[in-house]
Amino acid sequence: MMRLAWSWVRGAGGNRTAQSRSHDTGAWIKAIYLKETLEAFRDRRSLLVMIVLPAFIMPVVTLGIPYLEQRQQHQISTTTPEVAIVGQAPNLVHLAYTSKLLTPVHTGDAAKALRERRVLAVLEIPPNFEQLVAREAQVHVGVLYDTSNPESVAARARVVDLISRYSQEVVARRLIVRHINPKDLLPVVMDTRNVATQRQLSGMLLASLLPFFIAMWAVVGGMSLAVDEAAGEKERGTLESLLLTPPSREAIVVGKFLSVLTASVGAVVVVVIAMVISLRWGYPYVLHTSQKLDVSLPVGTAGVMLAVAVLFAALMSGVQLSLSIYAKSPREANQFITPLYFLTVIPALAVPYITEWQQSTGTYVMPVLNSFFTFRELLLGTTNWGHLALAAVSSAFYAALAVESAIMLMSRESVIFRT
Amino acid sequence: MSRTSNGMRLLVEARNLQKRFRTYHAVRGVSFSCYAGEVFGLLGPNGAGKTTTIRMLTTILRPTSGTARVAGRDVVREAEEVRGSIGVLPENAGVYGRLTGREVIRYAGQLYGLAPDVLERRIVEIADALELTEHLDRLTDTFSKGMKQKINVARALIHDPPVVFLDEPTSGLDVISARSVRDFVLRFKAEGRCVILSTHMMEEAERLCDRVAIIAGGRIRAEGDLAALKAETGKDLEDIFMSMVEQSVVR
Repeated sequence: MMRLAWSWVRGAGGNRTAQSRSHDTGAWIKAIYLKETLEAFRDRRSLLVMIVLPAFIMPVVTLGIPYLEQRQQHQISTTTPEVAIVGQAPNLVHLAYTSKLLTPVHTGDAAKALRERRVLAVLEIPPNFEQLVAREAQVHVGVLYDTSNPESVAARARVVDLISRYSQEVVARRLIVRHINPKDLLPVVMDTRNVATQRQLSGMLLASLLPFFIAMWAVVGGMSLAVDEAAGEKERGTLESLLLTPPSREAIVVGKFLSVLTASVGAVVVVVIAMVISLRWGYPYVLHTSQKLDVSLPVGTAGVMLAVAVLFAALMSGVQLSLSIYAKSPREANQFITPLYFLTVIPALAVPYITEWQQSTGTYVMPVLNSFFTFRELLLGTTNWGHLALAAVSSAFYAALAVESAIMLMSRESVIFRT
Repeated sequence: MSRTSNGMRLLVEARNLQKRFRTYHAVRGVSFSCYAGEVFGLLGPNGAGKTTTIRMLTTILRPTSGTARVAGRDVVREAEEVRGSIGVLPENAGVYGRLTGREVIRYAGQLYGLAPDVLERRIVEIADALELTEHLDRLTDTFSKGMKQKINVARALIHDPPVVFLDEPTSGLDVISARSVRDFVLRFKAEGRCVILSTHMMEEAERLCDRVAIIAGGRIRAEGDLAALKAETGKDLEDIFMSMVEQSVVR
């Protein structure tokens, strides 16, 4: 890559032979790029991965999972859970019915009923419960529930709520007997307000989703092309014919790299557009809680994000092409590239939980992580231009290094004829 | 470019070529020459070093030692120029299945740097010569093996090279396709090209080659004019071949 850039610089300097060579190199790169791109467009598998999956599957994933979660929460909140009450507490049972917090159930073996999910929780009342309460003693009640069952966890919350209300009623009665106003026990009352703007909330939502999907599609979008263009050519017996033509190994690798990069960036652009559209118009339609959320990606932010995404995708494309050149077969290339997918996606998932790294300058020169932290800053509207410049320069350097390694591998006899 | 006393242009000249892959010595000092209008056969069993020799002459492999010039250019120092002067049909060469025949040939022509108008004219000429015209706009995935081989021949000759390397060109082809490829070889010779043909089929060598070199164990065991070799040994080519290979095994 660096040698190639130098040959172009020399060509521009006036030397006729060098100019002719740089013209040839440009023409070779163009011919190889156009041929690889044409083949990709005729390959249904590549089109499926580049366009169809990000355009249709991602909105389903983005909206579908929150929708299912919302549906479950709605079901839990609107259903009155059946709770076994073991022991005598007529007033408490009456409050349970009138408040509709839970439906008391009488059953023989309550713990067994809970394990078999016939009831969602068990409330154990000690003997003489109401007499002890009337004598102003502190009484302990037991609650059994099953943390492996979200409905049981919700039922426990209802039981806690019931006991809390019952306790408040008892306390209120005791205070009134003593001529004390129950409000005297709450001298300070909190009134909280959320000052986050719609833009910030939208940015937070995008910051939690977009880096992960950009990481995923930057790898997946170019994967089939990278495998096909090197390991695939080896297997089909077309690579040797290509290497027997005049283009230098640099020109061959750069032409192929650009076509992998096009597929990778294409998939990223499609997924970002599909997600912003689905979040902006799909979220309010599907999710009642986000009706007021104005999800948008300002043009300036989108442009800078695209530039960072291109550099990130360039690194991914260079590494994938290198691995594919080294591989003996497409199968082996896929085996090499799969760990790269996890090595990329896991940091993307980790970024929201290591926000303390955001302030460190070193973070913005770390490959892969630098791009994710930059995306986060851009989406949250807290862009530090120094961080952005550092991330851009370091990403470009790593991408050039990856392409250089692909050229080096393509130039090695032991790699080209590796069997 | 040097010429012999009878005026033949020397197009391929290998001098003591050697190639070692780590512990395996594949080619151990191969020397020969080939001239314009001549078919030179590299004969040898599998693993003899024929393909490695061709790969060194076509710049894909760098010789461990020795020198070679093709079309007047050094294969190491002027590799790009050498590749521009040769047409190569590698053994088991594939084609791009998602491109049409025309697109495969055009792609090769672009890589050889042909001007667009020259390239389109050459595609028409070469397709006509190879009887490919009516199939040119079909995807090559739908082609028979013989048709794919014709596309590879067209791809290798699109820039009208003076030197042609054919590595086992009839391997795996049916009788009709193999005959068609042999006809092309004779045509290349008639056109004044220098053809280096690697084969392990004696009948094919006898039919096509003017001179041969028998390679075994990475060394040339016999080289010369076919008729002279037969007269000298009193054997047919297959017997000469077998005795040379057996001698190489004994050594």
